[in-house]
Amino acid sequence: MQKAISKQHNKPAFIRKFQSALEHGDRVWIGLNIAMSVIVVAIMVLIGILLWNQSAVSRQQIGLSFLSPFAAPTWDPVNNTYNTWSFIYGTLITSLVAIVIAVPLSIGIAIFLSELCPPWLRAPLSMLVELLSAIPSVVYGLWGIFVFLPAVITPVGIFLGDALGSIPLLGGFFAGPIAASGSSRLAAGIILAIMIIPTIAAVSRDVFLAIPSSQREASLALGATRWETIGRVLVPYGTSGILGAVILGLGRALGETMAVTMVIGNSLNSSISLLKPGYTMSSLIANQFAESVNALNTSALIEVALVLFLMTLALNIIARLLVWRVSRRFPAEART
Amino acid sequence: MHSNRLTIVSILAIAAILLAACAPSTGTPAGTSAPASVQINGAGSTFAQPVYDAWIYAYQSVDPSVTLNYQGTGSGAGITAILDNTIDFAGSDALLTAAQYTQGKDLQMYPIMAGAIVPIYNITFNGTPPANKPLILNGKTLAGIYNATITMWNDPAILALNPDLASFLPAAKITAVHRSDGSGTTQLFTLALSAFSSSWTAGSGTSIQWPVDTAGNGIGGKGNPGVAAAVQNTPNSIGYVEFSYAISNKIAFASMINQAGILVVASADTLASAMNDFATNFNDKLTNTIVDAPGQTSWPIAGYTYIILHTSSSTDCTKELKLLQFINWALTSPTAAQIATNLGFATLPGSVQPTVLTALGQVTCNGQPVLK
Repeated sequence: MQKAISKQHNKPAFIRKFQSALEHGDRVWIGLNIAMSVIVVAIMVLIGILLWNQSAVSRQQIGLSFLSPFAAPTWDPVNNTYNTWSFIYGTLITSLVAIVIAVPLSIGIAIFLSELCPPWLRAPLSMLVELLSAIPSVVYGLWGIFVFLPAVITPVGIFLGDALGSIPLLGGFFAGPIAASGSSRLAAGIILAIMIIPTIAAVSRDVFLAIPSSQREASLALGATRWETIGRVLVPYGTSGILGAVILGLGRALGETMAVTMVIGNSLNSSISLLKPGYTMSSLIANQFAESVNALNTSALIEVALVLFLMTLALNIIARLLVWRVSRRFPAEART
Repeated sequence: MHSNRLTIVSILAIAAILLAACAPSTGTPAGTSAPASVQINGAGSTFAQPVYDAWIYAYQSVDPSVTLNYQGTGSGAGITAILDNTIDFAGSDALLTAAQYTQGKDLQMYPIMAGAIVPIYNITFNGTPPANKPLILNGKTLAGIYNATITMWNDPAILALNPDLASFLPAAKITAVHRSDGSGTTQLFTLALSAFSSSWTAGSGTSIQWPVDTAGNGIGGKGNPGVAAAVQNTPNSIGYVEFSYAISNKIAFASMINQAGILVVASADTLASAMNDFATNFNDKLTNTIVDAPGQTSWPIAGYTYIILHTSSSTDCTKELKLLQFINWALTSPTAAQIATNLGFATLPGSVQPTVLTALGQVTCNGQPVLK
């Protein structure tokens, strides 16, 4: 120790100065971190302000009828009449289909990975699930057009139309016949489901893994079977966390553009059927923005972006609150 | 010990960076640079991009001192870029608006060539129809299909046009495929539909609200490939793509009966015929529509694609000269014409060329005409 100190003093002054600067870097580091977090917030706020300002023309000229769910579906750049409801519906219904399909599958995957899977299989399987999220969405889109639509969606669509199309109320969502190409809201929803499964499955798996083993042991010690332990202890314990995962997945489904554009058919119509082609907000923006030549059309597209931004923002805030709640629900010592 | 090593590594790293920065640059000794190269940037129309790319490639051997660069950003983005002076020329299928002429002060559009749109189709015939008999349509029928007033392939209007196929056309619903993205192709196609039929009320533009969508029989595909894929995957569908895309991808397309009542097939000749029909119709902005041309051999769904230039505000006269020389070469050289023909376009016929060349001669730089 003595030797080390004397060695320090033998060094040239500039090296000591440089060293002390490195050692006292904590303050710089904190400053950097604060700057980073401020930048993140600032970017969000600036995006919001920009969308609000740029959509001014549309908000003033079209007003609230832009959002009216009762107007006929209209998006007519030639006559400058716009209504966004069909696109909101398209975005919400495809995301809903995605969630309905993806949630049970993802929770099943998460339970298998955290509770039932033999340890040697866990790592490769987790990796494969996460690999799904690394596939570019345009690849999903191409695969959708050439393989998934003709091979799966068309027959499934015909079956759903026959089986459910005549049920009152619900039947409206399955009014057929499905287009021969398979381009439909259903196709977009199922592609989205495949795309959000990795997100929901990975986060849910982490939720299950975070549940203290004392909970499992207590349940098993009371004589519960493994199935009962999963169903009555682990799932209720992790509910909020799973809900957070679901809403994160929903956030991705709402904003996904490329794959949806390629399979949904991009058709503006008044049908509510899943088997008919539709249109989503993000597809509309991606399709029309580049070649939008009149100011009101551009502004209306930006207003669509604003609505989408607020929708996803609200959902993400809810997701954060839920995740925060689950981490606060149990005292720290119970989690070890 | 650990922090010692860190210090030394840091110092070495800084020293290395300083050395690299101070070292004399040996790559390009001053004074002996390569022959002056002129960089010219263009952007805009994706419709005409294949031809511009091929022309630029061929022009390298004509004038090696020019480096041309064209980006297919879309006509709208091209117009914005020339308004902002970030590019030297814009390619556009869309016409400048009055506001854009005012904003750009000295902008001028020059027609550079014409392109065609062709209807493509995928019909599941009853039985085997005779080979080499493409579907025949006329303007009214095409407009009727996209208007959702003609909804079946065995509609009397279609049967009457196709006596050879009449017994093979199925009693199946027509799915009409259109572009989902805003596009000059859609603008040209809808302009033609407006000219064909007075019952076409949806207007024309880069994006429109399709009556066939409202009727529930329409699908949008992204870009020419998206439309082609949707047509190929959808039995009993029809779509429209650029002629150049159809020939380079070997997609079967329909023939049309033109305004004169003659059966025509899309080609460089029928395009040139359409340009000839309207050769005297140029306005002072040098723009012109050539849809639904009256000539016997004219393809009815055709349109000019334009180059947009600033006519008097340029101050770099060498660059302006090189740019005009390139455009002049594109308009007059047989090589350029052959390239365009191979890609499904047609350069200006003799009846139109002088008008455009005269206009190009009026471009000035620092007050002096550029081409002498």
